[in-house]
Amino acid sequence: MNLTPYQIGVPLLALFVMLYAWNLALRKKKTIWEALLWTFFWSGIAVVAFWPGILGYLSAATGIKDQVNAVLVTCIGILFFMVFYIIIRLEEMGQRQTRTIRSLALRDGDLPDPTHNSHKNSGK
Amino acid sequence: MIVAVIPAYNEASRIASVIKGVSAYVEQVIVVDDGSTDITSAEAIASGARVVKHMHNCGAGAATMTGIEAARRLGATVIITIDADEQHDPKDIPALLKPIRDNLADVVFANRFGQRNKIPFIRRVFNGIGNIVTLVATGRWVNDSQCGFKVFGPRAVGQINLRMSGFEFCTEIVRETVQHRWRIAQVPTKVVYSEYTLAKGQSFSNGVRTAFKILLRSFLR
Repeated sequence: MNLTPYQIGVPLLALFVMLYAWNLALRKKKTIWEALLWTFFWSGIAVVAFWPGILGYLSAATGIKDQVNAVLVTCIGILFFMVFYIIIRLEEMGQRQTRTIRSLALRDGDLPDPTHNSHKNSGK
Repeated sequence: MIVAVIPAYNEASRIASVIKGVSAYVEQVIVVDDGSTDITSAEAIASGARVVKHMHNCGAGAATMTGIEAARRLGATVIITIDADEQHDPKDIPALLKPIRDNLADVVFANRFGQRNKIPFIRRVFNGIGNIVTLVATGRWVNDSQCGFKVFGPRAVGQINLRMSGFEFCTEIVRETVQHRWRIAQVPTKVVYSEYTLAKGQSFSNGVRTAFKILLRSFLR
């Protein structure tokens, strides 16, 4: 089997991302379910890159008929992924603003100092 | 110590009645005024609640987390969250507290669909979609995942940390139960839908946006 650099690079990238996801899961920053979703998604990309022929039945609908088109479609997918990531980052900025408003509300709420009434089992 | 947390946004006409109903079952009531432009805060204070006020409207999730944090600072071991629009019956609180008292659960979800309630068809559909989105995002099925009426036991009170500001927080709570391996219980409760509560609920477009955010965040987290 004659492998192109694309067919080697994309599965390696997918493997790296999946390992990263499971690393997050082991550190309890992701749930097992979320790691499974990532694995499912990136496995699909790796499989399609490795055996583009399995998309044959979709080629009529999508127009993906050769490696060049597959690369273009992958690039569009990556662009979508980047846009999603920017949306998440924007959301995090909003969350930071919300945290500030919440902190001010708690400060002005005449509540006991948390350092004297801490929850040591919070795990955070 | 049992504390009730009531997130409220422009609920001046309802908040006093909710506080009165809840007060019989808890030692302290905290109302989080989420940037209301009416006299919600004044009504809540007059009814004997402790009020924490957001200077801007941040959303139900942010208000709930502020209330939980305030309750922690007051030394709460059990927290009840309940909506401010009178859709829940405080008389259901003892039933919700029971699994916590019996040490059978860390979080108790009210289930508005677990008994005969007059719930509009469209609400049932929206909640069903919310349950499915929650299942896809978290891997756990909860019969009424989008209900604001819940009880958190000592373990959950200590560990919970909500980051989502809007209505997505309901799904985030389910995610927290998976993440921290909390035991859950579901108790059928009464619900009263009026024109007022229906108008206050989520619109379809808001629901779609919420679902999109949940799925996106669960994927990119």
